[in-house]
Amino acid sequence: MRFKFLIAAIILFSVVFSSKAQDFRLGKVSIEELNEKVHPKDSSAVAAVLFEKAENRLIYNQGSGFEIELVVKARIKIYKKEGYKWANKAFRYYLVNNMREKISFSEAVTYNLVDGKIEKTKLKNDGEFDEVINKYWGQKKITMPNVKEGSIIEYEYSLHSPNIGNPRDWYFQSDIPVNRSEYINYVPEYFVFNTNVKGFIRPEITVAKSNKMLTINSKERVVSRMGAATTNFNSDNINYIETRTTYLAENMPAIKEEAFVNNVRNYTTSLEQELSMTKFPNAMPKMYSTDWDAVVKTIYEYDDFGPELNKTGYFEDDLKAVIAGLNTQDEKINAILKFVKSTVKWNDYYGYSCNDGVRKAYKDKTGNIAEINLMLTAMLRYAGLNANPVLVSTRSNGISFFPNRTAFNYVIAAIENGNDVILLDASDPFSTPDVLPFRTLNWLGRLIRKDGTSMPVDLMPKKASVELKTMLYSVNDKGEVLGKLRNQKTAHNAMLFRGEIKDIKEDAYLEKLENTNSKIEIKEYSLQNEKDFNLPVIESYSFVGNNLSELIGGKIYINPMLFFARKQNPFKQENREYPVDYGFPFQDKYAINIQIPEGFKVENLPQSITLTMNGDLGVFKYLANLQGNTIQISVSNQINSSIVLSQDYVALKSYYQKMIEKQNEKIVIVKI
Amino acid sequence: MKIRILQFAIFLMFFGFKLQAQKNEFPVSLIADSLKENANAVVRLNQIDVIISSQRSMNVKTKRVITVFNENGLSAVDAFENYDKTTSVKNVEVRVIDPLGNEIKKIKRKDFKDVSAISGSTLFSDARYIYLDYTPTQYPFTVIYDSEVENSNTAFIPGWFPVKDYLVGVEQSILNVTYPNNLGFKKKEFNFKGFNIQKTTDTSTQLSYKATGILAQKQEPYCAVSVIFPRLLMGLESFNLEGEDGTAKSWNEFGKWYYDEILKGTTQLSPETVAKIKTLVGNETDPIKKAKLIYDYVQKKTRYVSIQVGIGGWKPMLADDVDRLGYGDCKALTNYTRALLDVVGVPSYNTILYGDPYKRNIETDFVSIQGNHMILAIPNGNDYIWLECTSQDDPFGYQGKFTDDRTVLVIKPTGGEIVQTKIYEDKGNLQNSKGAYSIDEQGNLSGRITIASEGSQYSNKASLENSQPNEKETHYKEYWSNINNLKLAKINFSNDKEKIAFVESLDVNANNYASISGAKMIFPLNAYNQFSGSVKRIRNRKNPFEIQRGYVDVDEVEVVLPFGFAIEFLPSNFESNSKFGDYKTEIIKKDATHLVYKRTLYIHKGFYPNTEYDQYRLFMEQVSRNDNAKIILTKI
Repeated sequence: MRFKFLIAAIILFSVVFSSKAQDFRLGKVSIEELNEKVHPKDSSAVAAVLFEKAENRLIYNQGSGFEIELVVKARIKIYKKEGYKWANKAFRYYLVNNMREKISFSEAVTYNLVDGKIEKTKLKNDGEFDEVINKYWGQKKITMPNVKEGSIIEYEYSLHSPNIGNPRDWYFQSDIPVNRSEYINYVPEYFVFNTNVKGFIRPEITVAKSNKMLTINSKERVVSRMGAATTNFNSDNINYIETRTTYLAENMPAIKEEAFVNNVRNYTTSLEQELSMTKFPNAMPKMYSTDWDAVVKTIYEYDDFGPELNKTGYFEDDLKAVIAGLNTQDEKINAILKFVKSTVKWNDYYGYSCNDGVRKAYKDKTGNIAEINLMLTAMLRYAGLNANPVLVSTRSNGISFFPNRTAFNYVIAAIENGNDVILLDASDPFSTPDVLPFRTLNWLGRLIRKDGTSMPVDLMPKKASVELKTMLYSVNDKGEVLGKLRNQKTAHNAMLFRGEIKDIKEDAYLEKLENTNSKIEIKEYSLQNEKDFNLPVIESYSFVGNNLSELIGGKIYINPMLFFARKQNPFKQENREYPVDYGFPFQDKYAINIQIPEGFKVENLPQSITLTMNGDLGVFKYLANLQGNTIQISVSNQINSSIVLSQDYVALKSYYQKMIEKQNEKIVIVKI
Repeated sequence: MKIRILQFAIFLMFFGFKLQAQKNEFPVSLIADSLKENANAVVRLNQIDVIISSQRSMNVKTKRVITVFNENGLSAVDAFENYDKTTSVKNVEVRVIDPLGNEIKKIKRKDFKDVSAISGSTLFSDARYIYLDYTPTQYPFTVIYDSEVENSNTAFIPGWFPVKDYLVGVEQSILNVTYPNNLGFKKKEFNFKGFNIQKTTDTSTQLSYKATGILAQKQEPYCAVSVIFPRLLMGLESFNLEGEDGTAKSWNEFGKWYYDEILKGTTQLSPETVAKIKTLVGNETDPIKKAKLIYDYVQKKTRYVSIQVGIGGWKPMLADDVDRLGYGDCKALTNYTRALLDVVGVPSYNTILYGDPYKRNIETDFVSIQGNHMILAIPNGNDYIWLECTSQDDPFGYQGKFTDDRTVLVIKPTGGEIVQTKIYEDKGNLQNSKGAYSIDEQGNLSGRITIASEGSQYSNKASLENSQPNEKETHYKEYWSNINNLKLAKINFSNDKEKIAFVESLDVNANNYASISGAKMIFPLNAYNQFSGSVKRIRNRKNPFEIQRGYVDVDEVEVVLPFGFAIEFLPSNFESNSKFGDYKTEIIKKDATHLVYKRTLYIHKGFYPNTEYDQYRLFMEQVSRNDNAKIILTKI
């Protein structure tokens, strides 16, 4: 008996011991890990990354030179059925000619606990797939065998890439918890990379240097005077210093999507790198990108950027007619913007590099972002304006905080006038000066001048987009409402509205408008300035509504804002991790004039109030006034910043709550 | 040199001639105004020539001329072709012409984008497609699309759809089919009535149709395309599927072929698995109880992964492979379950059907390969129990909303049989809510509620059980969007898979549920189950409408009013009965501060003519309005 106890104690001891020293090597899955039913820190997690280890090396390849070798090892725990998708892994690779990348999976095993024993099931060929997505990209996929709730899967994959300029970004964080993620970068002294860590959680970084040796084999065929050929084999050993940088992040919670988020990747802990300099022995150092000025200069010198800006011959004749007789800057800007918008249509491709070139785009009447906006810039310059391109990263591309060429994926045009900068984008039919498409409203862009200097440009709109609704209506003794409405929208509100109604038949639009506005009946609809983009767009109509009020106990209860009162708080979560991103500041205003029926009086009128949030970040005003049989209500909600930080979230949520309560207060009308 | 110049001249002449000939092709001015009304695009011509030269060869030529008026009409161009090992695109070409008929651009096959067709839940497939990626430089413009596709599968002859989409007018749509007279060509027309469609040829080797002047239609809610748009199904009695010849004149024959040719030899299992399954079932003798044990085993062991390569798109993966890998698609998992049941002597049959929340039948009087899904049928007396083998959560025999109430094809060793799956009757689709809430002097609500869902309503709720906390929060804040400031204090679920009942128990509270103005407090009595779905107003509805599944919601809620307030106004009891449903609310005043709110909403399933739509809308509006009836309290 004592003997048995001893064994039990040893087992217990070893269990405790091994659970403390988790083994981060493939194949060393423990019974404890397999037994774990829920994630210790997040019981709702469907799966978790137990560890991930990436090793990124620059290796020398006889013949092709340096290439990147990325080897990733991962162990993933599946807790729930909903986490089964983590048993499938896909990895993309570039497949065009000499930049072709190679990917291979290995050591892929599923571990299960069966009757207390570890059962291994290896991935075989029938679970491995190679998909050619399109001309540029392929994708290797695996689906792990024998996966159940509680399974652990492991795999290793390696990527060989000739593209040493841009190592793949590494995401330490994921939409499931990550217990440990390690990224080790081995860089020979010949290369310097810019690196940047994004996200809320900082990985621990350690740097070590060591001496390494590289062997370069060469052969030389020597023909002797006698005509006999011999081949001399040379083997040169080159010593160099390698820098090893280890990034280690542990216990990272799952990252979750929220409403009004710009791009959740901006907040995910990740590592970006870009080659900034090479310095090979016996050669001059070559700079790629070191700071924003250098990055921008490099881009400017690309064949499909700067030189495209300097071409003018293809449009000169046409443009002369467009700008003939125009004198002021505004006139020229408007004429040229309109000309480009109508001449060249956007083919939905992003990029700051031209694809077919401006000349061909002009001829084909279609082009990508670079072709359209570089052409626009060139035309503005031709017309004598101080125009320059501005590199932009779209919302979907995220925000890059450090200088690198891939930080950008878009270009717009800017006109500098002293300290004043006017931004232009001709790819959107409804965009106007300083009113850019939503996709571009993303932090800072970078303006490049002809002389190679550059400067940051704030892309977030400063001017509030206004929506002003003027309503005049009367209520009869049955509670029916009859009135007129005028709705005026400026800036981004106007741009979005024009995009929304584009190509929709008026009939269909009105049907939608009626249904979303408490099923009112609309007549005498008219639209002003639909095509005059520099003016506010104005809708006017008259309406009749039979369910806009309530008759309760002989009294009429009516919400003065009718169907415009906001019903729900868009901010439902209690707390928030990321900033609230509206895209642009705005002001919603209502001027309401209500006529009550003869023989009735107002029993209750909502009180006037003013609400503010954190200074003047948000201002809500509600003014009510009664004069005889007429009620005047004026309401305004103004958010003065495109972005509200997460520390202000609770204040914002409560601001909305109070505003909604006020907006839903009713006027009570009773018979005299 | 001279010859070359001559050649050049001839070429030039020819070219010039061609240009001439192209001029005034399909000018926009020739489109009738009636066709342009409500149209984002007009199909000028859509001619499909299908030539079936043998059981193993089919050639489909398409000539389609589409005038596009705006961006929303671009999808009508539909310039794409699928291909894989058995289907090859012989030719595809596009010419874009301006409103006058002058050519703007010519696009050849090499300029088409060529991409993988893998999407959604499919992990891998060898299917690919090419598509036209054209940026219009002006509207309107016209696309002339020519393609030719060669196919060795003759099991699927493309259907003919003269109208493909809403808001597209059709000038002319033509179908020509030729076929050998010995393959048993057949066809079936649907919804031709009311459209100008003529059958121009119908012989033992040829069939032609022509549709003209079809006006653009507006989409209306509660009505499916399959009910209103004309379509023609075609098929062969002797066909080829991925290299397998087949012949079927009847469902019985088709089922026999499928069983013998497609399913044959797919259910082998290793002796270890056989032994394991026998141990699992033990001494159990009742076939249904055995099946339950095995279904549970399959649910725990497998997951859904879809891989469609070649005949693998039709033939299930071997049961042995599913056993080893622990995954498969619907065919593979169904077949695997059948193999396991077979080990313990329980007969079961693979069943082909359309899996879709919108009920869709196998067209029973048109024998052909149909369906997009597979489930398993286990005979149970005169009836069947149906198993969804791709789900790891569904209760045994539950059909939810994906496979219920439709005709399906059961594949038996003796042949195929058409059977109707389980119908979830309106009254059984029950949601029973019981709870209470109280309102305090500040208008804050606090309460608890138990919601039990059965029948097809079970499927609306069951997925909540395994959802993430934020998904739960989102669900309830959506479900109770009428309660602002909702806070969920406690959430409990019980999922009775035996009875098929899902019960949610919640504690909730919300600040300022009641609005206070002056000395009055106002709030809607029905806090927990307001009908929120709005039935749209449609100007001049043209199409019939359908309620596919009926249901019953029963609510009983105790309401505790705050102290120091008197009831100034209490909504009256309300009842409304119509052919679409019955609605009743009742408010019982127990004492000065205690009320009981009772509500029943019973919606009938049914198919109704367009003329009754407004009646239905008004009925639902009454429901919605009365659900929002408010009580008014006054401070004493």
